[in-house]
Order: sequence, then structure tokens, then C-alpha cells
Amino acid sequence: MEIFLQQLINSLSVASVIILIGIGITLIFGLTGIINFAHGEFLMIGGMTTWLVVSHGGGFLLGAAAAVAVVGALGFVLERSLFRLTLDRPMNGFIISLGLIVVLQHVVIRFWNSYQKAIPQPLASVWEIGGVRIVAMRAAVVLITAVVVAITFFAISRSRYGLALRASVADQETAALMGVPVRRYITGVFIYGSALAGLGGAMMIALFPITPFIGSVIVVRGFAVALIGGLGNVAGAVLAGLVLGLMDGLSAGYGLPEWTEAYSFALMILILLLRPQGLLGGTAGPKAI
Amino acid sequence: MDLAKTESLDLPQAEPAKGGSVGAPRLTWMERAIVPAGVFLLLIGLPWLHPGYRLLSLAVSTGVNTIALCGLAILFGQAGIMSVGHAALMGVGAYAGAILARDLDMSFWAALPCAALLAAAVAGLVGLPSLRVGGHHFVIITFALCGLFTIVLTNGGAFTGAATGLDIAPIGTVFGVNFSKLQNLYLLAAAFVLASIGLMRLVMTSSYGRTLRSIRENETLAAALGVNVGLHKIVAFMISGAFAGVAGLVQVYFLQHISPDLYGAFPSVYIALMVMLGGPRMLLGPLMGAFIVTFLPEVLNLDPIDARIAYGVGLILVILLLPGGVMAGLAHLYLSCRRCVVRS
Repeated sequence: MEIFLQQLINSLSVASVIILIGIGITLIFGLTGIINFAHGEFLMIGGMTTWLVVSHGGGFLLGAAAAVAVVGALGFVLERSLFRLTLDRPMNGFIISLGLIVVLQHVVIRFWNSYQKAIPQPLASVWEIGGVRIVAMRAAVVLITAVVVAITFFAISRSRYGLALRASVADQETAALMGVPVRRYITGVFIYGSALAGLGGAMMIALFPITPFIGSVIVVRGFAVALIGGLGNVAGAVLAGLVLGLMDGLSAGYGLPEWTEAYSFALMILILLLRPQGLLGGTAGPKAI
Repeated sequence: MDLAKTESLDLPQAEPAKGGSVGAPRLTWMERAIVPAGVFLLLIGLPWLHPGYRLLSLAVSTGVNTIALCGLAILFGQAGIMSVGHAALMGVGAYAGAILARDLDMSFWAALPCAALLAAAVAGLVGLPSLRVGGHHFVIITFALCGLFTIVLTNGGAFTGAATGLDIAPIGTVFGVNFSKLQNLYLLAAAFVLASIGLMRLVMTSSYGRTLRSIRENETLAAALGVNVGLHKIVAFMISGAFAGVAGLVQVYFLQHISPDLYGAFPSVYIALMVMLGGPRMLLGPLMGAFIVTFLPEVLNLDPIDARIAYGVGLILVILLLPGGVMAGLAHLYLSCRRCVVRS
């Protein structure tokens, strides 16, 4: 039982990173129609930025802030210079993101080699509650994710900006006629999703070492979360991220650990078969198909 | 919006110009024949130019990629369905060849139909559920397929050789031709490349190709006109899977050693990018894409990492500036030059 609880708590922190990346993807894909396969590379760059800052003597908090800022800025530049031009043809945007994977990954390898990078644990303390050891850093990751999720959720469902955003997803032209700056919202969502990937990268390198090749593994998880939960649905992404994270953690302890990654794929395929709109239902996909 | 989509991607090759406003001029048969004939001669004649071992083995891997790319070009260029799982389908062919040779002592020629059929069957199995749910989901599922395939291969134990992979003996001598010699293997690969381009042309010019294009241009309309959209999409994916299977089989006999990382997510991404770079709707697009990506960087002695960066940037530029790929760009260039000459 204690081992079970231990696994459960450990897998929560993995689930948090998956949720961060999944929310970014579900918002970008579900609300703007951009299929950005380079999202995993955004996370990788966030992690690398944190590593650079920390290894040059900056604190972890500074590193995480830098990761969010750098990746957010990267998202802004790429949206304005590349993805904006392909909004009416998502397949071209998708191909461009594949090209971006190649470029971003090899630029990182070129300047900072391909070995794995690690930083010292920012929070070293470990609490022991009833025989269950809780690593403080993991708890912090879960907490930060919870805050981010809450902010995102309320911003989309309660604020007037969220309302305008949902209106422009439902009907771009009408929303534009009502005075919603649709293009600016698309850019905003892209930047926000990218910044979340940067944050996810910072969280990830705080938990385990990362390599420049982490992106493609993570991005598939992210898309799995987005599709399983329902596109554009933040609550769905959280649910799906929890399910995948717990499956990962528990299979490492109980199931066959070498098959861990296969489970998320299998679940994604199963959900797409039975409920193509995702567990909680989504925006029925982007409009610009 | 659909109109804009078809117009900006309209290429001189597939259909006659729409509306006839500018109009692609009718090419004489000489103009039509000269490029394919040149490519044909170059492909067949390469070994007699004494290219050396390195260049020739590069040419074989270019050929292997071209075979798979022809399949993907049919799928994406004609039916408008993108797959980023083609390396996994190549892997099915390659592993089928290696395992059949090891366990059943099958020769290359006997394994050929098996590899093609098996890869087509896997494609059908994947396509059956996922093609139903729309293009974007399909892309993601095929990407997941690659991940799944690598995991299965790595965990397959002795049957798939786990992470170290499998070894295989060369093709050996058939009808007095020794295929262990690279030169003869190259000719074999070239023959397969020509056959795939021929098959691709057959699909493009047949009424089946027209059916696929109708699905690409407007799925709802095609369905309303009585085209069985679901069936044709799956069949198109299976056809392209068979190409990939054959490519994988040629690859395994060329490399004589395969491992799971050859067929993971990244090789798949590269295949998808190659087809876009070359031009998915052009007959020689696959060859061009494979040539640019596989052959050119090595010949120019580029540092592999720089080559990758240059390749990614080049690809992004091609997508933005020449959405039809390099071959389509060249064709456009030729047509506009020709117009200038004719006018003057």
C-alpha cells in the first residue's frame, strides 16, 4: 500500500509535465488549428534555457522565468513569421513544424552538444508522511501546474477574453465582425501555449536530466493528451494528462515498464476509435480544415 | 477558401489549367520526354561512370528512399492524406524480409511479395480505424504508430533482435548475376525505382488517380458523387504501404543489418519532409526529394548537423515559397521561360 501511494505521488509530478505540454497543444491545436509538432522542441528549449541559466550561476527560479520568456518569444516570432502564413492550409503549417523540429534540435546540438543535461535539484528536502516519501521538488511541480491549470481554466471559461476567444473559435468571421481581433487572439494563444511548454521544460529538467532528443517523445504524449481529452478542452487535457501520468507511474511499478510508452499510444488509438471527439468533448476540431 | 487552396497549389502537370486564363501551354512530346529520358539514362548508366563505392552506396540509399517516397507521393499528392508513419511501414517490410530469411530461409524474391503484402496489411489495419476520423487525427496516429513500432521491435526479444536488431546475408547470385556486388545491387535498386515511378505514373494517369484527386479536392463532394471515400482512402494508404514495404526489403538487403532506430519517429519525419521538398504531385518529385536530402549533403561534404539545419531551413522556405515542391517550381520556371521565348 505504501509503495502504491509512493508510486501514485511520484507519477503525479510526471503527469504535471504532461499536463503542461498537453494544455499548450490542446489550446494551440484546438483553438487556432495549428498542428505544431515542434511543441516538444519548445519544451526541450525551455529545459535547455534553464540549464544554461543555472549552469552560469543563476538560480532555478531565474532559469524557469528565462525559459518561459525565451520560449514565449520564440513562439511569437515563429507564429508571426511562419505559422501565420499557413493558417488557411494547416497541412503546410504541420510540415513547417516538422522542419522546425529538425532545425531547433540540431541548432541546440550544434551549440551545446547532444549529451544529456542536468541541474542540481532546486529543492533538496524530502518530507516523510506516514511512510511515504515526498520529494519537495515534485510537490512544487504539482503545485505550480495546479496553479497554471486553474488560471488557464478560469481565463478561458470566465473572463471576457476567454469568451472572445471561444467566439472566434466557433465562428471566426462573425467574431471578427463583432470587433474581436481574431488574428491577435491566435498569436496570443500560440505565445501562451509556447510559454507553457517553456515552463514544462523548466519543470522537467528540475525532475530528470534531459537530452536534445526529448521533444519527439513528449510531443506525442502532448497530442495524445489533447486528443484523449478533447481538442481545446483544458479540463479534458488535465484529466487525460492525469490518466497518462498515472499509467506511466503505475506501470513502472507494477506493469511491464518496458511497455510504458506503448500504453499512451494504445489508449489514444482506443479513444479515437470509440470517442473521436475526446473524453470530455472538444471544439470539434479546428475550423480551417 | 477551398478555391484558393486548389488554385495556389495548381500545378502544370496534373490537370490542364483551370479556367484557361493563363493556361499551361501544350508541350510538344519532345519536351515531355526529355527529362524522364535523361533521368532514365542517368539512373541506368550511373555504374558505368565509375562513381566509386561511396557514391554508389549513397545512390542505393537514395533509391531506397525514392521507392518509399513514391508511395507517399501517391498518398499525399493524389489522395491528399499525409502520413508521418512511413518509416514504420518500411520497417515492416525490412523486418519481414530479415525474419523470413532467418526462419523460413526465404530468398529476396520470395520475400518481395510477402513484404509488400504485409506492409499493406499493416497500413490497412492502421488506416481502418484512423482514416475515419479526419486528416489531422490520422497524421498524429501515424506518428504514434512509429513510436509503437519501435517499442514493439525493442521489446520483441530474440524474434526481432531487440535493440541491436537483425543481420541478414546478401541476396547472392541469381541467374548468374551476383547481387553481392554493389554495382549489381545498385542496378536492382534502380530497376525498383523505375518500376515505382512507372507505377506512380500509372496511378496518376488512370481513372483511379482521378478518383483519389477528387477525394483530395473535396471529400464531401466526392462522396456525394458516389465515390466510396472511406474505402479509397484506406486502399490508397495500403498501396503506399506496399511501396514502403518493398523499400524496406531492398534496404535490409542493402544494409545487411537493421535496428529499431532506423524506423522510428525521426526517419518518418524525414520521409514526410523529403516528399514535400521534392514535390508530392510531380512524377519525379520523390526522386528529387530523396536526391536533395540523401545524396546532396554527402556529396557536398557538409557536416551532418549543418546539413540537417540547412535542410530544415530549406524545407521551410520551399513550403512557404514553392508549396508544390522543388520539381513543381522547376516546371513553373520552365513554363514561364518558355512563354517568354515563344512571345519574343
